[in-house]
Amino acid sequence: MRRLLLIGVAVLYVLSIPWYRTGGAEPELWLGLPDWVTVAIACYVGAAVLNAAAWLLTDIPGEDPE
Amino acid sequence: MTFGALGLVALGIYLGFLVVVSEVARRARLDQTPADHFLAARHLGTFVLLLTLYATAYSGNSLLGYPGEAYRRGFSWIMATGFMMSIVVVFHALVPRLRPIAIRERFVTPGDWIRHRFGGEAAEGMLRKVIGALMVLALANFLLAQLVAMGHVAREVTSGAIPFAAGVVGLAAVILFYETRGGMRAVAWTDAAQGILMLVGLAVLLGWLLADGGGFAATTLRIAEMRPDAVAVPDTVERTNWASTIVLLGLASVLYPQAIQRVFAARSAGSLRRALALMSFMPLTTTLVVTLIGLAAIPRFEALGVVEADTVMPRLLGALAEEGPGARAMAIAVFIGALAAIMSTADSVLLSLGSLIAVDLFDRPSGDPATTRFGKRAAAFVMAGAAVLALAPRLTLWRLIELKMELLIQCVPAFLLALHWRRLGAAGCLAGAVVGTAIAAAGTLFGMKRLGGVHVGVIGLAANLAVAVLWSWWRPPVQAGADASAR
Repeated sequence: MRRLLLIGVAVLYVLSIPWYRTGGAEPELWLGLPDWVTVAIACYVGAAVLNAAAWLLTDIPGEDPE
Repeated sequence: MTFGALGLVALGIYLGFLVVVSEVARRARLDQTPADHFLAARHLGTFVLLLTLYATAYSGNSLLGYPGEAYRRGFSWIMATGFMMSIVVVFHALVPRLRPIAIRERFVTPGDWIRHRFGGEAAEGMLRKVIGALMVLALANFLLAQLVAMGHVAREVTSGAIPFAAGVVGLAAVILFYETRGGMRAVAWTDAAQGILMLVGLAVLLGWLLADGGGFAATTLRIAEMRPDAVAVPDTVERTNWASTIVLLGLASVLYPQAIQRVFAARSAGSLRRALALMSFMPLTTTLVVTLIGLAAIPRFEALGVVEADTVMPRLLGALAEEGPGARAMAIAVFIGALAAIMSTADSVLLSLGSLIAVDLFDRPSGDPATTRFGKRAAAFVMAGAAVLALAPRLTLWRLIELKMELLIQCVPAFLLALHWRRLGAAGCLAGAVVGTAIAAAGTLFGMKRLGGVHVGVIGLAANLAVAVLWSWWRPPVQAGADASAR
């Protein structure tokens, strides 16, 4: 499960960069921001959630009792 | 702008608070060993650990350099949110493996890992010194950036009553005082308070900017009118640079010695795991906010110079202060928050510098109180040198960050690869670090910062990894006396 979450983070990172658009193109406004910026922010919000979940599932061997 | 006496009083109260905390921390110490001074006797819980990681990672660079870079580059600087988050992602490759060994072997410095992992190999001593030297150079550069930022903020918050040079020297002296007195406890506790101030301050500033500018859409449209390039979809070189910066910052930042030492200093693995889970969200509350602040400055200040753009944050706070007495008090609170963030990073850097120089470069024993004293003196020496250089800043804060990362990233094989690949030997790792550093240094010396958008440090890392892997395959290390579980 942790590995799947981290793969999800990697995919969101790739999608955050506007490879899918032509360089120099004029963007539309989505939620008050250029569309490719809104997509990037959405990707980073998703990556934060998945990464936090991955940390909570991370096993650190020899974990000391609290 | 006029902060006047109110700014001076607020600064005085804040500095007084730091001195009191250092004294309380000094009284809380258990002994005078390096582990107590540099790692707070490994007792940092989730809350303090989170805030100290946060305040350490988000520094003067974040608060002054990132808005400046957003102002210069436009919306493509949204990449900063991604690369700051990538640090917490890359920690997955480091923490689960390094932390158990660090606790079992009582590591104090990053060099302790090198000694442990490559112990018994002929090249181990030289590798440890090269890695230690790269880290010290990167930290000294980091300290320089913080001092420059401190000078700017001190001058602005006091409306020039404290000149830039006096701000650099005076605040450097205060940091040196409380770090030397209180060690990691003072640093972590002040970091916690500084982290809260920074979060609140940034939220206030962004709220005011958006309200004043008519919201996101109105601000974006004004930017598009003034600088269409700042809004347009980035070209291929800029997109490649975006990916390269994520790689550069993600890989290099996990090797900040002060970050590694916080992994050692956590009270428990659970505290560390929870703190890192929460850290995943901090780029959204900080980096994204400062990026939007820098963008909102575009319609307000036309055509600032390259280095001058690092002052957009102080300029915006000056504009906020002119709205009335309440707004002035808020602007001062943000300024103090910014100063707090800068000083908290500088103090962490200073603490790590002391331990690295004493233990890793000069081979002082890590359990000896004399090592702590030597480390403090060494840190003071580097601080004095950095303060002199900070008096005449020549580079932007972002360029200083890039230079630091291009050095630090050359340490990746010695940590990330060494943790995951048993065959890696000290000689291969050393050869790779030398080649990678030479490429990064040559690029900097000859003015070639990037190749097709890829940082010269990332190109150096590719060569570094290739040399380390091929050398280790060609001449496998002789594994004498090392712990097999770490290999």
